[in-house]
Amino acid sequence: MQREQISALREGALASAGLLVGIVPWGIVAGVAMVSAGLSETQAVAMSVLVFAGTAQLAVLPLLVAKAPLWVMVATALVVNLRYVIYSAVLAPHFEHLPRLWRVLLSYVTVDGVFALFAGRYRPDDGNRNKHWYFLGGSLVMWCAWQLSSGVGIFAGAMIPGEWSLEFASTLALIAVLIPLLFDRAVAWGALAAGGVALIAAKLPLNLGLLAAIAVGVAVGLAVARLGPRAGRV
Amino acid sequence: MAAESWLVWALIAGMAAIAFLTRAVFILPGSHLRLPPTAERALRYAPAAALMAIIVPDIALVQGALSISIENPRLVGGLVAFALAASTRSVFATIAGGMLALTLVRQFGG
Repeated sequence: MQREQISALREGALASAGLLVGIVPWGIVAGVAMVSAGLSETQAVAMSVLVFAGTAQLAVLPLLVAKAPLWVMVATALVVNLRYVIYSAVLAPHFEHLPRLWRVLLSYVTVDGVFALFAGRYRPDDGNRNKHWYFLGGSLVMWCAWQLSSGVGIFAGAMIPGEWSLEFASTLALIAVLIPLLFDRAVAWGALAAGGVALIAAKLPLNLGLLAAIAVGVAVGLAVARLGPRAGRV
Repeated sequence: MAAESWLVWALIAGMAAIAFLTRAVFILPGSHLRLPPTAERALRYAPAAALMAIIVPDIALVQGALSISIENPRLVGGLVAFALAASTRSVFATIAGGMLALTLVRQFGG
């Protein structure tokens, strides 16, 4: 490694250190919630390492407890992860010159916070040859923090009695992720519509109500955005 | 409460595939494709809609029936968490406050 690569790696790591305050409690809760939802310790560790997507992990846990079918849980994970498709499109031109193994690695470690830091720092036409080191440095800090804090939660969760209903913490953690998204008007109206449909359609078989709610939410969001900047203002 | 082992392993495998593929979809082929604005919006609205559609039934339904009552501990805990998340933006305060409200209603409510 050359000096500039090391300094980009360090710079990314230092920038993402500011995100640790958010990710550490989040990881602990995910660890506790996985064990409380019925995963063995081995399964919980495997999920943290292989999936490495906190929102998707926390989103499927209430469904697992409610005995939703497998395909509904996987479909939900897909929908919650759709934001990564946007990140992937934004990041692709930055990383297109890299060898395939690098692109696999950078795809696997992508998380919201580091994406936001990176996209704020580098324009797509920025010719800086070491920017992937910045991304890697930030991502490694987040990856280690996530795995360690999840591990703490997993082994603490195994010792906490079930009647504390700590699996509810995963729903509370989802609320913490959802709130910042709602500051966009169209997103907020879409989410409200989805919540309403989810309640009305809760009796539908196979949790089809959840998928119907998401479809209606997206349609309402698109409609509100199309109606113009002042529509739906309260 | 323990879910069947094969189901959990299948879930982990499916989620791992999805988590990787959604992140790699443009990065891995080295694509220069720009997402059309409508597609980008739909991709932004879906996660928030999904989260709300998971949260609302989880706090407002008790054994499948709507329970809008101060005696529903999950509803009170969830609403406290919404208020704390909006005012503090702190993950820790949101979770701790919500769990505390849940516990208090369970102990003293009803």
